[in-house]
Amino acid sequence: MKNRTCLGLMLSCMVSVGCQDLDDAEVKQKGLIYCSEGSPVTFNPQLDISGTTADAAAHQLYNGLLDFDPETSKVIPALADSWLVSEDGLTYTFQLRKDVQFHQTGYFTPSRAFNADDVLFSINRWRLASHPYHKVSGGVYPYFESLGLQDIVAEVNRLNGYRVEIKLHRPDSSFLATLATDFAVMLSAEYAEQLMLAGTPELLDSQPIGTGPFKFQQFRKNNYIRYHRHADYWEGQAYQEQLIFDITPTSSMRLAKLITGECDVIAFPAQTELRIVDQRQDLVLEEKPGLNVGFWAFNTARPPFDDPKVRRALAMAVDRQALLDAVYSDSAVASKGLLPPTSWAYDENQRDVHYNPALARQLLDEAGVKRGFRMNIWAMPVQRAYNPNATKMAELIQSYLDKVDIRVDIVSYEWATFRRLLKQGMHDSVLIGWSADNGDPDNFYRPLLSCAAIASGTNRANWCLPKYDELINDALRYTDEDSRMHYYHQVNELLVEQMPLLPIAHAYRFQAYREGITGMQINPFGGIRFGQVRKEGR
Amino acid sequence: MLVYLGRRLNLLFFTLLILCIASYTLAFLFPGDPLTNLSGNPISSEDQAQQLRMMYALDDGYIAGFWQYLKLTLSGEWGLSLTSQNPIFADICQFLPASLELSLYAMAVSLLVGIPLGIAAGLNHRRYTDMSILSVSLVGFSMPVFWLALLLILIFSLQWGGLPMSGRVSLIYEIPQYSGFMLVDILQADIDNKKQVLMDALHHLILPTLSLSIVTCSLVVRLTRRSVINVMASDYIKAAYAKGLSRTQVFWHHGMKNALLPIMPQLAMQFTVLLTNAMIVEVIFSWPGIGEWMMQAIYQRDFPAIRGGMLAVSALVVIVTICVDLLIRTIYPLSKKQLHAQV
Amino acid sequence: MPKSSFYDEEFYPSPVRQTWNEFQRNHIALAGLWCLGFFVLLVLLGPWFLPFGPLAQNTEAILLPPAWDANGDVSHLFGTDGIGRDLLARVVHGCQITFGASFFLVLLAMLVGCSIGAYAGMSRGLRASIINHLLDAIMAIPTLLLAIIIVAILGTGLMNSMWAITLALIPQFIHHTRDMVGREYRKEYVTAARLDGASDARIFFHSILPNMIEMLVVQATMALSVAILDISALGFLNLGAQSPSPELGAMLSDALETAYVAPWSISLPGAAIFLMVLSINLVGDGLRTALKNRVNQ
Repeated sequence: MKNRTCLGLMLSCMVSVGCQDLDDAEVKQKGLIYCSEGSPVTFNPQLDISGTTADAAAHQLYNGLLDFDPETSKVIPALADSWLVSEDGLTYTFQLRKDVQFHQTGYFTPSRAFNADDVLFSINRWRLASHPYHKVSGGVYPYFESLGLQDIVAEVNRLNGYRVEIKLHRPDSSFLATLATDFAVMLSAEYAEQLMLAGTPELLDSQPIGTGPFKFQQFRKNNYIRYHRHADYWEGQAYQEQLIFDITPTSSMRLAKLITGECDVIAFPAQTELRIVDQRQDLVLEEKPGLNVGFWAFNTARPPFDDPKVRRALAMAVDRQALLDAVYSDSAVASKGLLPPTSWAYDENQRDVHYNPALARQLLDEAGVKRGFRMNIWAMPVQRAYNPNATKMAELIQSYLDKVDIRVDIVSYEWATFRRLLKQGMHDSVLIGWSADNGDPDNFYRPLLSCAAIASGTNRANWCLPKYDELINDALRYTDEDSRMHYYHQVNELLVEQMPLLPIAHAYRFQAYREGITGMQINPFGGIRFGQVRKEGR
Repeated sequence: MLVYLGRRLNLLFFTLLILCIASYTLAFLFPGDPLTNLSGNPISSEDQAQQLRMMYALDDGYIAGFWQYLKLTLSGEWGLSLTSQNPIFADICQFLPASLELSLYAMAVSLLVGIPLGIAAGLNHRRYTDMSILSVSLVGFSMPVFWLALLLILIFSLQWGGLPMSGRVSLIYEIPQYSGFMLVDILQADIDNKKQVLMDALHHLILPTLSLSIVTCSLVVRLTRRSVINVMASDYIKAAYAKGLSRTQVFWHHGMKNALLPIMPQLAMQFTVLLTNAMIVEVIFSWPGIGEWMMQAIYQRDFPAIRGGMLAVSALVVIVTICVDLLIRTIYPLSKKQLHAQV
Repeated sequence: MPKSSFYDEEFYPSPVRQTWNEFQRNHIALAGLWCLGFFVLLVLLGPWFLPFGPLAQNTEAILLPPAWDANGDVSHLFGTDGIGRDLLARVVHGCQITFGASFFLVLLAMLVGCSIGAYAGMSRGLRASIINHLLDAIMAIPTLLLAIIIVAILGTGLMNSMWAITLALIPQFIHHTRDMVGREYRKEYVTAARLDGASDARIFFHSILPNMIEMLVVQATMALSVAILDISALGFLNLGAQSPSPELGAMLSDALETAYVAPWSISLPGAAIFLMVLSINLVGDGLRTALKNRVNQ
């Protein structure tokens, strides 16, 4: 068998020497082009919570200690071979994988393999405000801060070169899942040190070095990202020599490029276009229920949205079923609360608001909101699984609110600007959503509405209620699902009363690619990965 | 001639000066801190602000500030883009050639097709050929360029397939940037399968060039036709006929030169129109040129980049205009100061 | 008693009449005029006859093809867009916005341009030279580029884009008025008026302006077609009118999202712009030829 491979190699060498020009199809087969929906803000997923950044960096460039099995959603080993949790749930010990090589690129040559120092560096960077790298590139680590993780982790200790111990202040049943998310990636401590000496620490996040299947080559904002294969990847090298992200913000353009063959795989096919992808022989469409929620959040820091009555009224003024039909065209389920039906904590019998414009107007009058009141709806400019077309949805809501005598201005900016201004709380209300990073229900409740999440910018409603935080903290103290369910029911009840945001839909996740691509897998927790993808000639 | 040269250079100098003044004033007119608008640095510390104020001589009054700005602009210090934090001048140097390349090819196509058609129409004035060419050109001239580009994409890329609809060359190929002109770069680059890459780049050129040149071509046809008609009706042509020359002879010996030379400036002026249209077409075909770059800057309210892009594009247009004018003046001394196209 | 009709055999139609006669002989131009008339009627009366508003959404009928398609429905003649808005209503209102805005901005540009042009044409010396130099510089920049720059400064929006295009069009009017006034100013009838002691203003309004009107109309039609193209181009680039406004260019850029599923949402608004511009160009062309023929007679 080995002999035959050798022979094949030699033959192909001879052929390629014989005639310089390879066949066109053969050249194109070496590279995989993925049409993505936007430019990543950074190449370090610790620093940003958006799916765009996670897609471009998390699974291509890096690995975490742990990972999720895409089929079963269970936590599986990645850079950590195995782990131990102490009886009291406070001490976690990780045994690290050996011989994991970092990328060798034009700007960095690693002298050692991955070890405990890298783990300490990666975790301490976001955990310790005193860490020399903490303030680099903004010093905001939204995912960890939204979970309040820096206050939960007590110590991270190096036991030996390949063994690390993490101690917590209080038990957290979602901790392992957190370590398996896209955001808990492992950086290179050696590279960081080299950059610090060179006086350019911020390059760590824009010229990344990781252990993932691809290494970073080139990035042109709003244009493309180029990756080359990491030959020494610990799971075995990727099939494709080159991976290219062709950044194409318009979904119809992505579909068109898929049809013309300029893309092999596209991000977020628009709901209206799914039929076409399905019908065409040369395209493949896959779907899977997603762990996400699209919602309409009210900025509770601004009057009159600080009044729960107003928020309830606005929620009642909109027919969610119509939004669902028009925007998701049958590829989503209507939501009753934050959790999608696939989550184990989903409550079948949850109370919900219903479409009732007359009552809505009455409530608005009671709350003293004048007829002809103007508010704005911020519609995100990119497509996400949880909301494939926010502008369209905003226009629909605009016409619904018009019926209760509220005038709506629709606001949209380029994605990076949009999120920056959103974080500053410049909006009245916003159409956005959340894709879960792990299967734990806490991953919906905490980042979206806890008080700590205001500072980290994931609480779009700027809503803070101590009672709510208390309830979700209590839920985490138990490991059995029934006891946690009990708390989550109370939380749901509270949310219907308060209505800081109106959950709209849980969308299916779709993936469209050209015939001949194998190894694509829909990851239930966002994050696309290309390590196992292979492009075959036709 | 020298006097004329002097006047033109004078005009060039003053126009560029006015553009610089305008772009400097913009930094103060745009919302936000003028210092940020000039430098593109989001000011974070007092020290940094002080340093930048020194660099731009902001405390020494507007005149000194402008002088300093002029010096910086001439030395290629155009500040940083607010969103990407790249030096603007480097960005422009990178993106402008792409636009120029596209416009040049489109211009070449328009002239090569438009002039013969225009002549054919002019020689057959008021006949069937003339009428049909004229009506086709009128249609081309009334076509919104963005709609045309979309239709071409719908038909040639999506319906019939085959032609790519975005970018300059397939991203599979890594072409090192050398001159910024893709075809030159490919020929220059040290890569395998050069022929294949070149074909790919040409394929990418077809649709954008076509959508740009259809509009310009119809303008060229109309200009040429009008000029040929005027010349063919003039007395010396009648005299040539009277000598007994055939129609072909008359046109080639007497008509052609006199018909084409006077409209040269106007034809050349079409280049600036083309450059503007190229900005729209770039957006549609995701052509990484100055137009797409400037649109992004405008959407993101990236004021330093808007300022720089505006200065670069308008300076380019003015320089092209005046150079063409001078060039034509040298070849054809009779031409009056006909700077402006009359279609 | 019959009036003596000594000169009646030789009937001299007025210049306008002559131009009209010439114009009528050009059938294509006449067709353009009819088409333009149709658009004007559509813009003025169309909205009264439409069963749907341009913003009314019908979530029952999303992405309905036009009536001539097998899957189409007569109630939505041009089909519907991605959120169930009637395309016919949107196109008609779009014509109203695009055409109406262009019409008014051309009027304004003409008014301002002519005043400055007349002033420049009648003044001499340094001031004239400065204006001329400035104009030459600005005229070299295409209107759309100027408009883009101005919008970049003012910010996006329909109003701002209208201002931008008005400003960008003014130089052309100045240029033509200045040339014309300069030319006429040297003619004998003006000299005669000046010898009579007429002031500059009087000369302009009573002697030169009447001779300029036709030139201005031709200029205005050209400016109108440019304005329509530019306003829709700005709309298309998301610099002018913003969605959900049914401005034709903005509609096109909206329709990009469904370009492949609903090609009619691209072709119909685009065709409306195209026909409008075509008919205006036909009329403008016809007028110019007619004028030239009249003068040549």
